[in-house]
Amino acid sequence: MRTAASKVRSDETDQTGGMRQRRVDAGPTAFDAFHPMVSLCYVTAALVFCMAAMQPVYLLISFAGAFAYGIVLRGPRTAVRSLAWQLPLVVVVALANPLFSASGSTELFRIGSRAFYLESFAFGSCMGLMLATVFTLFSNASRVLSSDKIMALFGGFAPTIGLMLSMTMRLVPQFVRRGSDIDAVQRACTAARPACAEKGGTRRGYLRSASVLMGWSMEDSLETAAAMKAKGWGAGSRRTTYRRFRFRRLDALALAWGGALVLVSVAAAVAACGQFRFYPIIEGVAPWWSYLPYAAFVALPLAMSAKERARWRP
Amino acid sequence: MATVKAIEARGLAFSYPDAELVVGPLDWQVEEGAFHLIVGATGSGKTTLLRCLKPALVPAGRRYGSLEVFGRAVDGLDAREAAATVGYVSQSPENQIVCDSVWHELAFGLENLGIAQDTMRRRVAETGHFFGIEPWFRRSVDELSGGQKQMTTLAGTLAMQPRLLVLDEPTALLDPVAEKNFLHALFRVNRELGITVVVAVHEPEAMLDYATDAVELADGRLRSVAGCGKAKTPQLYARRGVQATFPTQNAARPAVCVRDVHMRYDRQDDWVLRGFDLEATAGCIHAIVGGNGCGKSTLLRVIAGVLKPERGRVDNRLAACQALLPQDPKTLFVCDSVADELHEWQKACGYDDSAVDDALLRFGLAGRATSHPYDVSGGEQQKLAFAKLLLAEPELLLLDEPTKGLDAPSKLTVGRMLRERARAGTTIVMATHDLSFAALVSDTVTMVFDGEAACTEPAADFFANNLFYRPAQDAFALLWNEQCG
Repeated sequence: MRTAASKVRSDETDQTGGMRQRRVDAGPTAFDAFHPMVSLCYVTAALVFCMAAMQPVYLLISFAGAFAYGIVLRGPRTAVRSLAWQLPLVVVVALANPLFSASGSTELFRIGSRAFYLESFAFGSCMGLMLATVFTLFSNASRVLSSDKIMALFGGFAPTIGLMLSMTMRLVPQFVRRGSDIDAVQRACTAARPACAEKGGTRRGYLRSASVLMGWSMEDSLETAAAMKAKGWGAGSRRTTYRRFRFRRLDALALAWGGALVLVSVAAAVAACGQFRFYPIIEGVAPWWSYLPYAAFVALPLAMSAKERARWRP
Repeated sequence: MATVKAIEARGLAFSYPDAELVVGPLDWQVEEGAFHLIVGATGSGKTTLLRCLKPALVPAGRRYGSLEVFGRAVDGLDAREAAATVGYVSQSPENQIVCDSVWHELAFGLENLGIAQDTMRRRVAETGHFFGIEPWFRRSVDELSGGQKQMTTLAGTLAMQPRLLVLDEPTALLDPVAEKNFLHALFRVNRELGITVVVAVHEPEAMLDYATDAVELADGRLRSVAGCGKAKTPQLYARRGVQATFPTQNAARPAVCVRDVHMRYDRQDDWVLRGFDLEATAGCIHAIVGGNGCGKSTLLRVIAGVLKPERGRVDNRLAACQALLPQDPKTLFVCDSVADELHEWQKACGYDDSAVDDALLRFGLAGRATSHPYDVSGGEQQKLAFAKLLLAEPELLLLDEPTKGLDAPSKLTVGRMLRERARAGTTIVMATHDLSFAALVSDTVTMVFDGEAACTEPAADFFANNLFYRPAQDAFALLWNEQCG
């Protein structure tokens, strides 16, 4: 799959003037078999759960699930690399919380008259963990809900917004590519360099690149606008959409079962979080079986990916 | 033939605000089902004439006379009808694509017209199948080659089922292989589907075999051109090769020396260049030829020192005084007028005003001196960029497709300038698809294949030994042999 993609990319050389940008590798995900609505519901439920269930065990499950699925989606290297900034974030929030809230009962140490409590640190760590999980969930979601799926979901209500999204998806990489192209050509024309080597040359160079880029893009947008008009943009009374996603029985079933699992998890989570408290002393950790429904919910995409991989194993 | 003409114009004329007539007054008729060529030099008003056929695209200005499409006045068509009757494809593969994915681009026009989903899906399926787009239907347009992009645009236009298809220089930015593919598709559209096709071109050679009739637009008037269809057989072109006229020069030390260069854009990507060797002699014109995406542009950038090879060495003795002509001349334009553009490097390079005037004259841009660089035609932009680089008097000229979008007389100008520079000692390395240009203008030719220099030979030997890859006797070759041979 990867070699095919890179072959395609090398065909591109001549049209873009030899400058190609690195594309985020977009392989298939377990959610591709379903209607985008299923992915949207799952992602939303996962986000809400992660933010609402402020209980250490739930947070750990959320984080473990999100991180594991991140490995599946983006590869271990990228996932571990994102830990490099997420872990410090957890530490910073954990250390910052006691500065603002001086509650708890297990005193760790005192600075001046101010006491620092273990419970406060624990709460901060949980907050940090939640933040890291939310970030991971969002980056997973961006892979699961690609632009065409978002368009299929919202294109019906607002076709213009869907189209805008599609155009932006195309223009942003083009902008970046052209910027580097302009920069490269400017660096290559050393015969005209004295102009740039003067005082303030670098700044002028940037200004020059920016102005070329603006002029170029604006000029091209005229051409694009003409192409849009030529294809009848704004001519019909109402735009229709070419949707590729149909809501089938399988999707309804997935939503129903997933919904049931979510309901059970919510009931369990409400009970578990209700009896748990950080202050004044950490207590009320629910028994292990009350986490099972949520763990199953979090593991769903992992199980689907595993099943798919197992099928293709020789 | 049907009694109603596809296009019928009487006394048609067009003028931009505060300017003289650009086109006409002219009478123009196109039969239904014809493959009609409009031949004209760069900037002769072909685009203006074609745009008159699409009410949404008519430029600001005044139109005189009557213009009917399939018996109906163009002004009388409402936006929906106009969009569905006349399909329009322009030159740039990059800019006329609106959406980010191929499937969306195919459906875009139909979505605009509010076609019901079932009908839309069927039409998209039909056209996708007809053009063989299915294998890349779900790709992002950024991954497509120029030829594929242009094919996508054509398919997206035809999905709207127009009766008349109007194309403005559709293959000017494509390489010869992609051009052939595109023309073949166009030919099938015309002959198999019976759709009337009108194409504006400045170099009709490649299309003459497909066309049923052709007219020439010059000084705002139309003149019919003989020699379409069967008059010239394709064999005649293929058999008669072009004789290269320049002997190789021998110089002791190469100006540019590339040794075992390995280059790729990402660790997971294939090598674009793998073990590339090249020597460019001082005062010689070295042409680099090869298919689309074979790494020609990359090679030029490696020589320029803009891209650092992963392995291998590049010795460029002239690195301090070089200039690179990029594929898209817009990369070089910063000023508000053609003349200002040529003055931009004046302070840095120290040429005087008369040099600028001279350049304007030599490249036929004198009449355009006050125009904005973006307002002149594609070929003129190319010439402007070239003139701008020459004014900086580089000792090493790196040219990426210098003849893209140029008509034969302009190519002649560029070719002569290059020979002149080479005689004065400038080293020139150019990547090009234009084989007759490479054969006639360059001293040495290197063919790039599979990331390597497949062979490097003097131009005459190179083309004499090739069976498939050889230049056609085109208008430029005739002109060159006439004037320089």
